[in-house]
Amino acid sequence: MLSSIKARIVTFYLVFLIATLFPLGVFLYFSLSGIVYDSIDSSLLSKAKALATLVIEDNDETEFNSSDEIMSEYNSPNAKSFFQIRRFDGTVIEKSTSLGNLELPFGSGEKRADFKTILLNGAPTRLVNFHVLEDGEQEDKAKAPGIQKKGDGLVVQCAEDIREQTTLLQNYGLVLSLSIFLVMIISALGGFLIARKALAPVKDISETVGKISESNLSERITAGEIAKELRGLAVSFNRTFDRLEKSFERQKQFTADASHEIRTPLSVILSQSEITLRKERTSEEYRNALTSIEGAGRLMSEIVTKLLTVARLSTDRLELTRENTDLSAIIRKAVKLLTPLADQKGVSINMTVGEHPVIYGVRAALLELFVNIVDNAIRYNIPGGEIDISIKKEKSSIVTEIRDTGVGIAEKDLDQVFDRFYRVDKSRSKEIGGVGLGLSICDEIVKLHGGRIGIRSQVGTGTTVCVHLKEDGNVTQI
Amino acid sequence: MRVLIVEDEKSLADVIKKGLEEEGYAVDVAYEGEDGLFMAENEPSDLIILDIMLPIVDGMTILRRIRKAGIKTPVLMLTARDTLMDKISGLDSGADDYLTKPFQFEELLARIRALLRRDSEVKTAVIEIGDLAIDMVTHQVKRAGKEIMLSSREYSLLEYMAVNRNRVVSRTSISEHIYDYAFDLDSNVIDVFINRIRNKMDKGYEAKLIHTVRGAGYILKG
Repeated sequence: MLSSIKARIVTFYLVFLIATLFPLGVFLYFSLSGIVYDSIDSSLLSKAKALATLVIEDNDETEFNSSDEIMSEYNSPNAKSFFQIRRFDGTVIEKSTSLGNLELPFGSGEKRADFKTILLNGAPTRLVNFHVLEDGEQEDKAKAPGIQKKGDGLVVQCAEDIREQTTLLQNYGLVLSLSIFLVMIISALGGFLIARKALAPVKDISETVGKISESNLSERITAGEIAKELRGLAVSFNRTFDRLEKSFERQKQFTADASHEIRTPLSVILSQSEITLRKERTSEEYRNALTSIEGAGRLMSEIVTKLLTVARLSTDRLELTRENTDLSAIIRKAVKLLTPLADQKGVSINMTVGEHPVIYGVRAALLELFVNIVDNAIRYNIPGGEIDISIKKEKSSIVTEIRDTGVGIAEKDLDQVFDRFYRVDKSRSKEIGGVGLGLSICDEIVKLHGGRIGIRSQVGTGTTVCVHLKEDGNVTQI
Repeated sequence: MRVLIVEDEKSLADVIKKGLEEEGYAVDVAYEGEDGLFMAENEPSDLIILDIMLPIVDGMTILRRIRKAGIKTPVLMLTARDTLMDKISGLDSGADDYLTKPFQFEELLARIRALLRRDSEVKTAVIEIGDLAIDMVTHQVKRAGKEIMLSSREYSLLEYMAVNRNRVVSRTSISEHIYDYAFDLDSNVIDVFINRIRNKMDKGYEAKLIHTVRGAGYILKG
């Protein structure tokens, strides 16, 4: 339940309301009850004081001078007011008729006027114990505790039935609780509606996102109509979909290209064998057919190997182990591997190495990178041509330039040379060899090391491939 | 029947050429789009087998150009692209049929036969003219139930005349359709072939099927 944002908002809202409304209710209740009790107490106290004036003390004799005017309040049997006059020792001197045979309990006597609420005959009653002191002493003793110890003076006890007031307070409390409860229900409902309203655009976004699948990846969230707070979310969703769409597109293109590249040699193999097997042939014819099949098979094998390399490089990025690698050693090794090919074509390779070109990278991938680049530089070179390789440090990057004196690449083709299966001149590539995956493999390897690869060329003069690799081999996200 | 293959994968083009020649077709091959376009526009072909992915001028462009030039030769697209869109755009550009690589050679042959039948009066693999029956699949020729043995060139010539039955075919058109362009044309050769076929097929039968149309050529009718 609480996994829903709406429920969480409503719950939080309710907790907040309880935390504010409950203390407010308690405060309102107690402040009103304080006012009510204060007024009862002050009236009780003045009544007690009035009764005290009726007590006449003469030596050890105490007399109660009853006054009809005052007594009328206490003397009817149904009266709600009661009094009782005691000595300090507890002996009752006088009590009101309204008390009947009941007795008001004696107070603790710690204060001069001691208020408390008691139950008298089942009814809540407020009682005051008021100490009457001798003249002159009154003021001093009022401040001193422990008056009763002196054993003199009287206690006027005055009480009043406060059933009405307590009922009033009870009702007030009930109304207050009910109001708070009602406010909470309405607020919860309001909170729910607000949460729903606030979350509506999120729902819209999620619906749009839910609708986008492989078949309609080009659909987007229309960010213009969405609340400002959520626009960022919509924009990043759209960006993610842009990236996804591009990568899907690339993947589709790649699959189509790969299948195209494999189908052609496959057709050669199948047609060649089918046609050859249609009738008896001379051994010469069989030899020719098998040679053609072998050629197609080799081409397929090369394509499959390269395809697997591309796939591995673009998916297993994290599984490749990196180590500090001397780039000049890697390039020397690549050149050494390709020396037979270069010698065959009469191409000479020169190398210039700057200071300590060490990067943190995947050794095997880096070797493949430079083998591919140097291989191209040899294949597309003129017989007796040259290749210059220079390695230098630039800020935190190692820049390697491989310049050849080859046929060059036309400007219109330069953008596409890193695309998979792109070959500048297909018919020429057939003679030279290669399946059009070399440079896209290079591109993947360079990306793997957070670097970049560039190419510039002039037809007839030669091509320069420029590889920038970060020393720390930082991997950037594509 | 003369077939033009436009395919940049040399080994594939060569093996298809070989297979078709063994089936009695005259085959021309172009390894590049531009050559293919030139041959389609300038050499008489009965069928063009066209690859879509070609260097420099691609197959679609060639197809549109030859259709624009009013050449109605049936075109069979042969390609490694197999998505629905590729097929649709190929057929909409004027291709008559579409075959995806890798293909079975037998299927290619059957499709070629079907395409060649399309514009002729003949709609089945067996052409019947009077009591003559020519099976275009097995290359078996029978007259009144009796099998007639023909050389592959003789068969090609007869088949061409049978497909164009009841129509006069000139010596030039015969030689253009049974030989590829590498052949040095000499119309006498056609007369020699016609005589050989007549000896094997018409000799000893009441009704003659091959007739000479003076100054125009020959006609095959029952």
